[in-house]
Amino acid sequence: MDGVSYQRFPRIKIREVKHDYMKFELRDTDSSIANALRRIMIAEVPTIAIDLVEIEVNSSVLNDEFISHRLGLIPLTSERAMSMRFSRDCDACDGDGQCEYCSVEFYLRVKCLSDQTLDVTSKDLLSSDHTVVPVDYSDGLDNATNKGIIIVKLRRGQELRLRAIARKGIGKDHAKWSPAATVTFMYEPEIYINEDMMESLTLEEKQELVDSSPTKVFAIDPENKQVIVVDPEAYTYDDEVLKKAEAMGKPGLVEIHAKEDSFIFTVETTGAVKASQLVLNAIEVLKQKLDAVRLSDDTVEADDQFGELGAHMRGG
Amino acid sequence: MKKGSFAADIYLSKCIENSLAVLPAWDKILWFGKPEVFPPQKERASKTMHDALYPFECRQAKLSYTGKFLVDICFQYDDGAVIREKINFGQFPIMLKSKLCHLRAADDSRKLIAHKEEPSEMGGYFILKGLERVIRLIILPKRNYPMSMARNSFRDRREGYSDKAVVIRCVREDQSAVSLKLYYLNNGSARLGFWIQGREYLLPVGIILKALVDTTDHEIYVNLTCCYNEERDRVKGSVGTQLVGERAKIILDEVQALSLFTRAQCLRHIGEHFQPVMTGMQNDSYKTVADAVLRDYIFVHLDNNHDKFNLLIFMLQKLFSLIDQTSVLDNPDSLQNQEVLLPGHLITIYLKEKLQDWLLRLQRLLQEETDGEKKKFELSSLADVKKAIDKNAPKQMGLAIENMLKTGRLVTQSGLDLQQRAGMTVQAERLNFLRFLSHFRAVHRGASFAGLRTTSVRKLLPESWGFLCPVHTPDGEPCGLLNHMTASCRITSYYDSKGNVKDFFKMRMSILNVMIAIGMTPSSPKLVQAGPPELLSVLLDGRIVGYMSSDLIEKAVTHLRRLKLSSTSSIPVDLEVGYIPLSMNGAYPGLYLFTSPSRFVRPVRSISAPAEEGNDLELIGPFEQVYMEISCPDGGDGGRKTVFPPTHREIHPTNILSVVGNLTPWSDHNQSPRNMYQCQMGKQTMGFSSQALNCRADQKLYHLQTPQTPIVRTKAYEKYCVDDYPLGTNAIVAVLAYSGYDMEDAMVLNKSSVDRGLCHGHIYQTETIDLTEQSVKSDRAQRLFRRSNLDKSSHRLIDSDGLPYVGQRINPNEPYCSIYNEITSQTTSMKLKGSEPVVVDYVSVDVKNKTHLQKANIRFRRSRNPVIGDKFSSRHGQKGVCSQLWPDVDMPFSGVTGMRPDLIINPHAFPSRMTIAMLLESIAAKGGALHGKFVDATPFSNTMKESESESSSLVDELGSMLTACGFNHHGVEVLYSGVYGTELTCEIFIGPVYYQRLRHMVSDKFQVRSTGQIDHITRQPIKGRKRGGGVRFGEMERDSLLAHGAAYLLHDRLHTSSDHHIADVCSECGSVLTSSIIQPPKRAVTILGLPPAREPKKVTCLACRSSKGMETVAMPYVFKYLAAELAAMNIKMTLKLSNGAGA
Repeated sequence: MDGVSYQRFPRIKIREVKHDYMKFELRDTDSSIANALRRIMIAEVPTIAIDLVEIEVNSSVLNDEFISHRLGLIPLTSERAMSMRFSRDCDACDGDGQCEYCSVEFYLRVKCLSDQTLDVTSKDLLSSDHTVVPVDYSDGLDNATNKGIIIVKLRRGQELRLRAIARKGIGKDHAKWSPAATVTFMYEPEIYINEDMMESLTLEEKQELVDSSPTKVFAIDPENKQVIVVDPEAYTYDDEVLKKAEAMGKPGLVEIHAKEDSFIFTVETTGAVKASQLVLNAIEVLKQKLDAVRLSDDTVEADDQFGELGAHMRGG
Repeated sequence: MKKGSFAADIYLSKCIENSLAVLPAWDKILWFGKPEVFPPQKERASKTMHDALYPFECRQAKLSYTGKFLVDICFQYDDGAVIREKINFGQFPIMLKSKLCHLRAADDSRKLIAHKEEPSEMGGYFILKGLERVIRLIILPKRNYPMSMARNSFRDRREGYSDKAVVIRCVREDQSAVSLKLYYLNNGSARLGFWIQGREYLLPVGIILKALVDTTDHEIYVNLTCCYNEERDRVKGSVGTQLVGERAKIILDEVQALSLFTRAQCLRHIGEHFQPVMTGMQNDSYKTVADAVLRDYIFVHLDNNHDKFNLLIFMLQKLFSLIDQTSVLDNPDSLQNQEVLLPGHLITIYLKEKLQDWLLRLQRLLQEETDGEKKKFELSSLADVKKAIDKNAPKQMGLAIENMLKTGRLVTQSGLDLQQRAGMTVQAERLNFLRFLSHFRAVHRGASFAGLRTTSVRKLLPESWGFLCPVHTPDGEPCGLLNHMTASCRITSYYDSKGNVKDFFKMRMSILNVMIAIGMTPSSPKLVQAGPPELLSVLLDGRIVGYMSSDLIEKAVTHLRRLKLSSTSSIPVDLEVGYIPLSMNGAYPGLYLFTSPSRFVRPVRSISAPAEEGNDLELIGPFEQVYMEISCPDGGDGGRKTVFPPTHREIHPTNILSVVGNLTPWSDHNQSPRNMYQCQMGKQTMGFSSQALNCRADQKLYHLQTPQTPIVRTKAYEKYCVDDYPLGTNAIVAVLAYSGYDMEDAMVLNKSSVDRGLCHGHIYQTETIDLTEQSVKSDRAQRLFRRSNLDKSSHRLIDSDGLPYVGQRINPNEPYCSIYNEITSQTTSMKLKGSEPVVVDYVSVDVKNKTHLQKANIRFRRSRNPVIGDKFSSRHGQKGVCSQLWPDVDMPFSGVTGMRPDLIINPHAFPSRMTIAMLLESIAAKGGALHGKFVDATPFSNTMKESESESSSLVDELGSMLTACGFNHHGVEVLYSGVYGTELTCEIFIGPVYYQRLRHMVSDKFQVRSTGQIDHITRQPIKGRKRGGGVRFGEMERDSLLAHGAAYLLHDRLHTSSDHHIADVCSECGSVLTSSIIQPPKRAVTILGLPPAREPKKVTCLACRSSKGMETVAMPYVFKYLAAELAAMNIKMTLKLSNGAGA
């Protein structure tokens, strides 16, 4: 085992980038790295979210805990999060919102004075830091309809007055700090069609085969009536086509393999960080974690502590 | 909103009038007049101002929702003018939404909300001391129908009695009932039995027959034997046999043997025997007594003696036919022969008895006063009589009713002809909407059946088809006894569908006219008619109104049914046309018509009669249903022969299900017990219990923070507005064995889902502090809410008025309110019990006492977010306990959508339980979610489809919804391990399933203790979670440790950690009880400032008078206690001590 290097140089090819959506290929690595990236994006990239709420007046229909919980779940723009401190590590303050390194203060003061119900939304939250504000979901076109995330509705005379402190955190601690709405990857499929066998099928049978897949992977070429692969990535590994081929008495008609070393990632964020930034942050966090393992004295200590077991744990 | 027709109707005045009309007037001097009940009003100092008292105020202030109850008492002296005097009979409980309720006027939801009620408040219950109570519906034998029965206990009545009898429960217009039993004697005669004051009186039937009308022996003989015709012996439908004639002779001979020949003699005979037991008739003539007996105990539903005579003849014929086995027994457990006790009826009969008692007491009181020594009392003086009336405590009357409703106990001498005296009411819990609703739809068989060892009463009988839900009954102890009415079943009452009081007399007259027009021969006193099979008796509400030829009768029945549907005829829509056809030794034939209230009815579609004015829904009862041909859409022809074509059709097959049973999606695909479990669990789900949450002061309210409406739902969801009170969450459920924490019905919740608010909930708990209540007991101290100015520590929690701040968080053992005692000038505070912090949600005060607050409600809020150990359930009887909150990243995820499940259940939950509908729900909800629409999951709906062209199965239908969106047809998906990122070896079944959070939560149940309180007698740890007690280490636990050989652990649990004790035992006499500590004489000698050395305890045996053989032995303290107990019984226990090895 010694001496042989398994080092590989993973490549990323970006296919599509939007503000909160990104699709990219990750090649020349294995599932452990891909999954590590996914897990970090979901649970360990820090963001900022409201963590502490001091309610002064709440005469709304929802109780204090309910409103606090809702406030916590509002995504806040968290570009600053990577450079901020966790309030538990902050030496400058005791996490009461006065400290710019670890917390951001918000105020919400709303009272309904009209007969119409008043929607209290995330836009009513006043931030002490202009870089940390509730995520704006309006696409810039129609501001009239988009008013942010509703927190509570007030009737005439009802009032809500509170101070909230947002802090840095990670999704592992509470889902409100997770920047990712969805992160998923799939193995890139390789689809082979046995042309000879395919020739033996009638057109109806071909159509049946094509239709057997719930997603549009195959199609029939309108010109030469050949079954062609139109979108291999639409394949969900549901084996429907393989089963169909087998049912037709032609096993091996189509062969599908998952490439073990290439992945197609789909990343969607809550808007707290940009999708591209999320990936970069995730890689950064992963690096920090690896550094922590490599540089830590614990590694040596662990060897002492666990003895043979330690060696075993490292795959020796 | 759905409710039983009984619910809101309390027909006070009508029934009270009826009940008062028959009260015994005393010497024609004094009787009851018109009763009056007023709407609830607030107690106020000023007499002119009357504010309405609303139900929500009663709930909050823990008051009773009652109105003033006045009754006219009429006096008349020496045929002079009648003097009327209104007497206050106290406060009468008012049912919500009844005629006198303030909410009656609030007909739409806006007005109800303005009254701080639920927008869909439907009333039907009472508020007593702030608690909502419902009168239970209890099954009673069908009124005014002679039922043949066999009971072994009949044999024990007296020598010569057989086990057979015909029983009739006669009900007067005022709903009070008297049961009569006609026993068969082995010698061929019969006895009529009835109960007076807790004793059964048995009379030879001949005497009654003769006493009722002036008749001859010949007439009786002919009347009895008319049912037998030699030519028609043993043909289909004949009920009489030769023996009837002989029995008739025996009956007549018996009377002759007593030398009673004329009616007058019979009446005299009866009067003589019953005078001692008839209260208040000591001075009357025998004839009046006998008339009273016949009036008050024999066939009380009939007024006319000829009708009584005819009915008795009919019952005798039925009895003889039962003996001769030409007819069979009626089953008293079958719904066919049952009706239900309505709240209004119960109150009426209870009130009637109470008023009767009151009048009797008044009579006695007046008698005493007039007979008294002082002679001051003047009967003609109104003031004196009023004084006597006041002395008789008329206000107790309202209180008696209130107490009956509050406790459910009937305090009565006679028993009111009911089987039970307790458990008449239950509290209407608002745990969730389904539970609340079920209280009004529940029908109980009666408490007396609960103790019965036989299971026959609990059986599900085919007669209850369509009336009682086969699914919705609890399992366990009350199984089969506590049933629920089906969604379409309702109960007839004094009111018709438009809310008007029915005119029963007019109704019966028009039915009679119709019957005579068709060809019925009306019964007349001296008319003797042939019996079945030529002629059938026609009974209308227990009265023989005539006879009809058996050829005509079927036509008559169809004609009556047609008239029931027609709106122009005066035949009531809920008339029960119970036609029992001729049969070979079947049920006793006849045409039984019922218009009475408190019968079960349900609508079915009539297909034989031409639909008149588009109305083809006929209300049928369980009595007639048995003999009707009703086809069910999913039953094909039901094995029916072509000779009996269906005349009616079920509206929908789900009509056999209760409201709760109707909410289970695709319950027709589930194994039946699972649907029963769901009916149970649906009622203990944490949901949206009330929309008027802020106006309520219930002791405990469960509330789900973010409920959802199910994607997959039955039609009943919209019909019963369940969306107003949602009960669960659509959770993404993956069925796989993952992490091992989903074994044995445990389930793994996604931690991030819980973080985001899945199944979050609260418990609202209200503490009511009433200072007046407490001060009465103590030294009349004036106590008020006030906080102490000296102790500032609690100022953080308690405001200057002594009550907590709203929104304040209070930790265990912190004060939440403080009370100042003016006499002792001390402030005490009430501390929060329990082990979890609460938040003050709401504080309300009673401002009746304007100067000092005396009553306050403090509502606490406890957060109950899902934790390990909380119970959840799907709608298919699949319950489970949360075993882990699993990190989101470790959950398996879908490669295509990236979706992670909210919860994971184990696939082993399915094979043995066969809850296929849950799988269907998962697929359907997935498709519904993808297409953005609700999916209808009404059971049996495939049978209701008009077109038969769609032959595709349900799964294919649902599967095509999935394939249209690029998902697998069977609802499975390829998932990747969240931990490794590799594909899971098989495809995983995943989709949204509606999950309910059940109210059983660990936070309310966990019990843990290290050291703590002990029982002072046994010195063992006390029991009880509330008091910080331990968990019992019982016999079976002991057995298992013994079996393991874990002796040390056993010793530790049962001795060291329990009641370890070191006892002094005298080895000389072997007693543990005689040791005594000798106090060494105190020597106050201290040696050079050193603390005095601890003297060794001197122990001596009192019996041996020496301390020579004293030894210390470790033993459980109970052992010593046992020795002491034995000693008290003169048993001596001696111990033989040895040092281990030796014997």
